Amino acid sequence: MQTNMWALYAREVKRFQKIWIDTVFNPIVSIGLYLGVFGIVTSGREIGSLPYLTFVYTGLLAMLIVNTSFSNPSFALVIARNLGNMIDIQLAPIPAWRIGVAYAFAALTRGVTTVLIAVVGTVWFIPAMGIPAHPLALVAALFLTGLEFGMLGVAFGFLAKNFEALTFMNTFVMQPMIFLAGVFYPVATLPAPWNTVSLFNPIHHNVNFFRYAITGYSDVNPLFSFLVILGLSAVLFAVMQWTVVRNIKMK
Amino acid sequence: MLPLKINNVTKIFKNPKGQEFKAVDGVSLDIEPGKIYGLLGPNGAGKSTLINMIGGLLLPNQGSIELFGLDVAKESSKTKQLIGVVPQEIVMEMAFTVEEVLYYFSGMYGVPRSERKARIKAVLEDLGLEDKTHERARNLSGGMKRRLMVAKAILHRPKLVILDEPTAGVDVSLRQKIWSLVQRLNAEGTTILFTTHYLEEAEQLCESIALINHGKLIKSGRLKDIQQEFSKNTIHFELFDRTAAPLAGVSEVGVEYEYPITADLATDMAKLTSHYNHNLKSIRSEAASLEHIFLKLTNH
Repeated sequence: MQTNMWALYAREVKRFQKIWIDTVFNPIVSIGLYLGVFGIVTSGREIGSLPYLTFVYTGLLAMLIVNTSFSNPSFALVIARNLGNMIDIQLAPIPAWRIGVAYAFAALTRGVTTVLIAVVGTVWFIPAMGIPAHPLALVAALFLTGLEFGMLGVAFGFLAKNFEALTFMNTFVMQPMIFLAGVFYPVATLPAPWNTVSLFNPIHHNVNFFRYAITGYSDVNPLFSFLVILGLSAVLFAVMQWTVVRNIKMK
Repeated sequence: MLPLKINNVTKIFKNPKGQEFKAVDGVSLDIEPGKIYGLLGPNGAGKSTLINMIGGLLLPNQGSIELFGLDVAKESSKTKQLIGVVPQEIVMEMAFTVEEVLYYFSGMYGVPRSERKARIKAVLEDLGLEDKTHERARNLSGGMKRRLMVAKAILHRPKLVILDEPTAGVDVSLRQKIWSLVQRLNAEGTTILFTTHYLEEAEQLCESIALINHGKLIKSGRLKDIQQEFSKNTIHFELFDRTAAPLAGVSEVGVEYEYPITADLATDMAKLTSHYNHNLKSIRSEAASLEHIFLKLTNH
């Protein structure tokens, strides 16, 4: 069933497995370094009843899935465009909507794989980490966040004409949004109006819902964050399909 | 049902200044099943644009293309399944092994997982690449990469295989291998359409040809019929000294000269021999070469 779509999905999964040191372990090493620094500097501090290191850790895991899910399709597609490999997708009898879905699910797979490996490797160093507070919410957070930023990566991978555009997006849009999303601090502690402005940063809701699922701590109503993620996923699905169709269709 | 039917197709591109350029101009062509068909023309003639429209990558501005009765513009997912295209450029996942390249690409054409490995093994044996199965694609030589491109296009067993300049820039030995592969595929019932600007290649392989220049179809049909048409009533000859005064009615076609038979072959040959005498390097009235036909049709 839909063999062609799953073959494209499997090819994209194989691609990141081929370069696993770069795609999987590189971001995990970054997380390890963050934890090392924050562990030393913030030892003993708490946010509410949550140790600060646990607070940062859950934010870093959310940042990890956002970054890796976005990077996987966006880089793959820009590289394909630059090497001329895009013709493989254009010639194959795969309807455009399935192309987007295959890339987005491959991104989700990389995001979830990276997070799971990161957790296995680092959770032992985090205080007060036990069974996730809301396991079902955690599954939803992983699935929706991976898919959401996978779809954004697909859309941007098709829109970006070269690496400069991709680097621009990463440096000037994605990274500031991630760093201002409450990964390292609770947005409620920001002075007005920035605490309100932060609520309009969509990544804040991914970080918040992810943290809530693991620890039970939430900056804003977790249901609100969940609905924002759900709504944004629907919008990004439409945007992704529009960009894929626009780029794959005959001109 | 015809494998390929091209009806009055035109493709217009715009340059950055907004000026229009007709890459393909009102081309109509029918390709019959089971044939090897050559699409010939110089670089920039419009061959690849036509191939890209057949492959479902470009949409004609005018006209239609049907593959096995299906309109390419309306049912491209179905038509793409029926054809295998070998693009001019070598493109593949260079980090993958040969087997991986073929495994995933054939999957994208719907070949079931259970069948893929057996098909890959058979095709690689056919192409003399069986000992490269687990080699990374990037480590293959240029010729092997070219063969791998062919393997990608035929794994899903298409009814029509389209090869865009398959022998461009390859050595004589590899060219022979690609020719024999094309002939073998054809013998198994696959219709072949290939583009080339090597005219001797088309003479070796094709039953039928289409000549295209400046986006326009200038001649199409059975190669033998075209050769007969262009060789009848003419004598072809070459001269040692090309500055010699020409005989009235003689025209220059490439390195050759052509003279229309006005009386009969013997009388006109005698007239030429008498005029040019020992300046004649060669003289014949045999079938015209494709190169000769092409030069004549393009007024070179």
